[in-house]
Amino acid sequence: MECLRTCFNTFVIGGAAIGWLVMSTLIAAPFLWLTSSAKRDRAVRKFVYIQSRGIVFFMRLASKGLSVEKQARPEGSCVIVANHASALDLYTISAFGFDNIIYITKGWVFKLPFFHYVMNGAGYIDAEKTSPEQILAQCKTAIEKGCDIMFFPQGSRKDPHARFKSGAFYLAEQLNLPIVPVAITGTRKMLPAGSFVIKPAKIVLKMFPAIYPKDYTGELGHLRMAQAAKKQIMDFFDKQL
Amino acid sequence: MITREEIIKQTNEALKKEFEFKDDQLLPTAQLRDDLGLDSLDAVDMVVVLEQKFGVTLRQGYDLRTIVTLNDLYDFIEKLARTHQK
Repeated sequence: MECLRTCFNTFVIGGAAIGWLVMSTLIAAPFLWLTSSAKRDRAVRKFVYIQSRGIVFFMRLASKGLSVEKQARPEGSCVIVANHASALDLYTISAFGFDNIIYITKGWVFKLPFFHYVMNGAGYIDAEKTSPEQILAQCKTAIEKGCDIMFFPQGSRKDPHARFKSGAFYLAEQLNLPIVPVAITGTRKMLPAGSFVIKPAKIVLKMFPAIYPKDYTGELGHLRMAQAAKKQIMDFFDKQL
Repeated sequence: MITREEIIKQTNEALKKEFEFKDDQLLPTAQLRDDLGLDSLDAVDMVVVLEQKFGVTLRQGYDLRTIVTLNDLYDFIEKLARTHQK
């Protein structure tokens, strides 16, 4: 039964999801291209949000249940941090209603055919090509436009318990932004890194109350914030296993 | 006078606690950037952690870029600790 479900997920739901990504992009591309350049990046981010909501819908169909535990988001912009174990994680953040996000990601994602147009169009930031000072300046401009900033501080999908690097937290400290920790569980079972087989799995997405830099003072405040956010996320992640 | 063994032990303890390294990663020949994956911000954090641990100043008057491996780091702290002692 599990095997049949996996085949159905991979070929039918996976095919439909890829179809959704391709078709929605082909339909939206001319409209995005015609949008004035001043508003285009916002329009692309909104488009990514709509696409992501679609993928979450397909994930729900392929899952053994998908639940979303929300919190009231802090006022103004925030830095969202989540654990990272699957390519699906990128889309799951839309389930919390964040529709104007700047992702800060590794450089290889910007080299993917087809995706790099969206990445560049939305104003996402290549963490490997951009200096820390430039990232800070670009994020400052982004929050003036009302964007939220999104990081996967583990930086890789290989080890689900990998250390949270403190860059996201340093940025929050410098820009005095609240941190919103998000736990993503079940996506690793559904679609692990390097796999194309979509297995049925229970998915739970949980948003935690915001962490504020003012509560973590001192030279190592950002490191302590990273440790606190990781503990919160990983305690929840391990309970779901 | 703090011994080299004590410096290695305390440095490794601090790195394990703050950066979640495991014993088998902390080889003297391990490169901080390529093997341990410490980026520039991590390096600054590491310096602050070690300054607090050993009560010495690592940041002023020294070129920290010359520290490539863990062994370089132990040597550097040992040298500073000796100077501090005098």
